[in-house]
Amino acid sequence: MPPDAAGTIGAAPPLTPRRPEAVLFRRRGEAITVGRFLAEAAALAARLPEAPCAINLCADRYLALLGFAAALMRGQTTLLSADRSPRRLRELAERHPGAHALVDDAATLAQDAAAAACPVVVTGCAEALLPPGDAGRAVAAPRIPAERIAAIAFTSGSTGEPAPHAKPWGALVAGARAAAARFDLADPARPASIVASVPAQHMYGFETTLLLPLHAEAAGHAGPTFYPSDLAEALAEAPPRRLLVTTPLQLRALLASGAGLPALEAVISATAPLAGELAAEAERAWRTRVLEIYGATEAGSLASRRTVEGPLWRPYDGVRLRIAADGSALAEVPGLPRPVPLADELAPAGDGRFRLLGRRADVVKLAGKRASLAGLTRILNEIEGVRDGVFVAPEDLDRNPRARLAAYVVAPDRSAREIVAALRERIEPAFLPRPVVMLDALPRDAVGKLSRRALAALRPAAARRPRSDA
Amino acid sequence: MSVTSTVPLEAELARLIVEALHLETAPEEIDPEAPLFNEGLGLDSIDALEIALAISRRYGFQLRSDDERNHRIFASLRALAAHVEKHRTR
Repeated sequence: MPPDAAGTIGAAPPLTPRRPEAVLFRRRGEAITVGRFLAEAAALAARLPEAPCAINLCADRYLALLGFAAALMRGQTTLLSADRSPRRLRELAERHPGAHALVDDAATLAQDAAAAACPVVVTGCAEALLPPGDAGRAVAAPRIPAERIAAIAFTSGSTGEPAPHAKPWGALVAGARAAAARFDLADPARPASIVASVPAQHMYGFETTLLLPLHAEAAGHAGPTFYPSDLAEALAEAPPRRLLVTTPLQLRALLASGAGLPALEAVISATAPLAGELAAEAERAWRTRVLEIYGATEAGSLASRRTVEGPLWRPYDGVRLRIAADGSALAEVPGLPRPVPLADELAPAGDGRFRLLGRRADVVKLAGKRASLAGLTRILNEIEGVRDGVFVAPEDLDRNPRARLAAYVVAPDRSAREIVAALRERIEPAFLPRPVVMLDALPRDAVGKLSRRALAALRPAAARRPRSDA
Repeated sequence: MSVTSTVPLEAELARLIVEALHLETAPEEIDPEAPLFNEGLGLDSIDALEIALAISRRYGFQLRSDDERNHRIFASLRALAAHVEKHRTR
């Protein structure tokens, strides 16, 4: 019988089970061993203020991991907010009284407008770094109770305040071990290198770039890695068995840049469906496999597939999906106290695998963030001077990583720019409409409904994507 | 001269940004000193990649994020223009 992932993690899994001499991370050309990391994490833990939770704002991925580990050692919950806007940070501080914040370096705080606006005690994780070459004192990896809430991830969006999703330590460990088994990252004799373009504060980035180095035989890369040239450089620095962890948008940009990459073990993409042609093009250009992870902030990573092999996803070991006749699904995830409803519609394939039918109609996902069209539309209609208005997702939202929402608005005394300015204060930039189409009236039918076709016909030519069919 | 005017380049970049991103803004209305992201023009990381691609095509160099410098490059249209002026190969 295959061991159940939840059954093998035990009541108090260690922070990391890896050998002290294993390479945990690479940062600025230096290989950081597990032993050194544990010493630095213990040093940082001793510096943290007494608090229930820590807002982790570190951009440097290694410092983000150090901050997470130090908080865990002190029994503090890490708040993962990919949204760094001053408004959101104020909101987090209000919702979590007593929280403190972790940044890369307190000395450069003034340059970081977001962190500077955060009304809490701020600690720079870099203060705990040992001088190069200093191995530090030997620190054993602490054991953490499986049920302790190690982190809280947030589903961002526009339906109001982002909703919190508590992550017990046991669920994070079980997820990392399942990913290690799935992607062949469990052999200490063949360690991998992970270079990623996703932020550590996004659930997918948190799982793949902070938890895999702790619980798989893989070394992380501290970054920065955002632009195609950064990724190409970081991959060139990393030793073989290189894993590129990215998104459809970044994958497309990296291909378009024409940057030369060293041999890759695999590319892993998530946050949005990857188009088959894009995956095939990447496999040809980089002579590698392009794999995809399916997951949700609420549940974590759930399944994977190799995109060019077709539409069927295989759940991670230990994950059970209960798919109802109408396509709605509940995910039972090792370590999570209750089943998680998913925002997508699924169809079982009969062999344990499943097909992804699509998002539930109202949900849109952009830049790894989810929102409800109804919620966005409500916010639009609350703007002073707006008599009627609606947010619409373009047909190609799931295929075109650059796709944006459109808004159709009736507001006789306001301009499109004023509408955007008002929305900018209330929704995340990813969901700002492009274009905003101002109308005398929305083309509602007899019962007041709007059809996509009627709206599309009103879209001005200038706002359509340039095509050669002129 | 250490002080070079980047005003013509600012206008050119403003047009490039508005065209590449399909913005609801006229190029001449972008405040050259306002932040391009979030509370300013409202751009996000998708846009940063698009701008990087458009800049590499038109000006022949790659944007890179090394630490704090990247904050400064996108701090405003003026900062971006100064960066492009310094690194352009065409």
